[in-house]
Amino acid sequence: MTLIVRRQGRPEIVESDICIIGSGISAAMVAEKLVEERQARIVVVEAGDETVPLAERAAHRARFVAYGENPWGNDHIDGMTADGIQSRSMQVGGLAMHWGGVTPRFSPEDFRVKSLYGVGHDWPVSYEELDPYYQEAERRIGVAGEQGPPALDPREKPFPMPALPLTDNLELLQRWADSAGIAMWSQPSAKNSVPYGGRAVCCRNDTCSPVCPVGAKYSPDFTWNTLRASKQVELIPRTLVRRLVVDDQSTRIVRAEAVRRDARGGAGSPVHFRARTFVIAAGYAWSPHLLLLSRSSRFPNGLANRSGTVGKYMTGHRNVFAFVKLPLRLYPGLNEQHSLVTKQFMRPGKIDRYVRHDLRVWESSVGRRPRFKGDDGSVLLGDELLADWRQRSKEGTARVRAYYDVIPDRESALTLNDSATNGYGDPQPKLTFRDSPESAALRAHTEDSIKVLFQRMARAGNGEIIRTGVDDFQDHPAGGCRMGDDPATSVVDSYGRTHDHENLFVVGAPTSVTGGCANATLTFLAVALRQAKVIGQEFTARGSS
Amino acid sequence: MAAVGRSGNVRPNATLLEALGDAVLPAEVGGGGITRAVSQFQRWMDEYRPGAEANHGYGTGRIEQLTTDPRPLWQAQLAALDADTRRNGGQSFAALARDRRQSLVRSALAGERSDALPSPLAARHVALALLAHFYDSPAATDLCYDAHIGRQTCRPLGTQRQQPVAIERRAR
Repeated sequence: MTLIVRRQGRPEIVESDICIIGSGISAAMVAEKLVEERQARIVVVEAGDETVPLAERAAHRARFVAYGENPWGNDHIDGMTADGIQSRSMQVGGLAMHWGGVTPRFSPEDFRVKSLYGVGHDWPVSYEELDPYYQEAERRIGVAGEQGPPALDPREKPFPMPALPLTDNLELLQRWADSAGIAMWSQPSAKNSVPYGGRAVCCRNDTCSPVCPVGAKYSPDFTWNTLRASKQVELIPRTLVRRLVVDDQSTRIVRAEAVRRDARGGAGSPVHFRARTFVIAAGYAWSPHLLLLSRSSRFPNGLANRSGTVGKYMTGHRNVFAFVKLPLRLYPGLNEQHSLVTKQFMRPGKIDRYVRHDLRVWESSVGRRPRFKGDDGSVLLGDELLADWRQRSKEGTARVRAYYDVIPDRESALTLNDSATNGYGDPQPKLTFRDSPESAALRAHTEDSIKVLFQRMARAGNGEIIRTGVDDFQDHPAGGCRMGDDPATSVVDSYGRTHDHENLFVVGAPTSVTGGCANATLTFLAVALRQAKVIGQEFTARGSS
Repeated sequence: MAAVGRSGNVRPNATLLEALGDAVLPAEVGGGGITRAVSQFQRWMDEYRPGAEANHGYGTGRIEQLTTDPRPLWQAQLAALDADTRRNGGQSFAALARDRRQSLVRSALAGERSDALPSPLAARHVALALLAHFYDSPAATDLCYDAHIGRQTCRPLGTQRQQPVAIERRAR
């Protein structure tokens, strides 16, 4: 059992074998694997509050649908924010309480762009090495998926669940894509197509992001509920780790200094976490932030930062999108958040100039929503308005979107913002994403290539582009503690162990080298599970004496 | 004219709201359908929590709150419609013929720059709010497509492969 010592007037002490900082989706995977495979006392420290229980989500969803209310209650901490951060979600389960449950794998090329195309950086781990961990992640969270054409979508074993069936809309759109020479299939998703993990089947409420009211979409609280109920993990919420402290005589981490947040807004009470192994699983922003925040006279640039790359190479991917008017009868809301996907453009083979991207297609209501003014500007009311809507809904709209590779600059960075501090006086992070020069030089070529593809698709379906655009922010952000074999240019090795501190690991998103060109969560999990295997090696295997 | 709800706030006058609904909603749904839509709109307003935290937008760390209670403004707009008609003809807005009420609403909305229905909470006029609330409903989508789609409701996954079952439209 975890040992907790409370001392009058002095910091409380919590002792364990493994201290995991953060309770998001990567932390959940790592903790679950360690519990299954190793005999170790595990403490998980989460800065945020408990999340909304499943039993309350239907009611919260109803208010989200009716009014746009945040369905996740108290899911952020006042004063804990950053310029450039994608979401402030900070609670048990982390960002993946909000996620859409979309779980494609990266393609083999994503890990070898330097070797294959001469751009960017290779990862120190290959797709083939990650394949079993992809499988494991898919099994643990429950992924419903369809095997794409093997040449485009290599995998050793089938998905743990059959694919979410295509809607009538998506079957029409699949035929449209096929007519444009594009093979598309059902997007793998962490949504139950059959009962799985003791959770219900998807009943297409269409609010997967931000909230599934029936628990058919995986979220990390399900894993935590199981681990906590079996008393195999001690998860301590409302406790903010402020810095890690290094042993005076070595480079090992000896404790994490934290504060139990006061519900009434007071200073809170200090608590020290002692452990043999520390695992930072606090996502792309708060992981490098904690390392930088742990600076001292001995480590003036923060911990694990001999290379100077903590907080550097922040990565992600940008997208180009279009809405395409098509002569198809599409019914809105059959399962709006489900999509088609292809890896055809992630695996381009030999190319003259680098461009890689994924491609997804959804039904869309753009151009099909009811309006209250006609083309001549006259106000439409009553039956006129409905007739106008009926007329415009005879045809359909497809939403198409391509995430493309952005190669991060070294100075795509998270830094400490000394002018913005939280309630404890700690500087908050500041994030500035920046393309590398070679990526910036490729940007117009990439975006133009994708727009040409969209035009070709529209023509193939006798349709037309309603509008197209580029979302400038970098989605699925990652990096900041990138992995590598060379301690001079990376923070951790491919197993997440920091080059500078033998008992300190960083797992998941922050260790990514590049953002790839597909939703990245499943890759973060595969990487984290591979990292967990090594984290556990110092502890006795389950079943051993 | 205005009623006071349980929360102590002003509620739009039910008679005027019903008359507005009859003017702006499709006659195809029938009198019962209009009464139901207006009553659902009234309940939606009553259960609104001004200042509640809004869902976080995608790709942003901003935390935003929902707007203030829209009912006083919307009641004032209803009262203004009524006052105008009384001033000009001596009749209440609710007593006017449907086409006359529609004409007044058209005048009120003519200055709106967008043709898109806003979200109900963003509507600057009560007529737009009522329209937006109605057309945002799964029932309105079914009406438009003449099909049992049941958007945003719990439905078996297996049936999504099929086209939604058609609804036979009543003769108009």
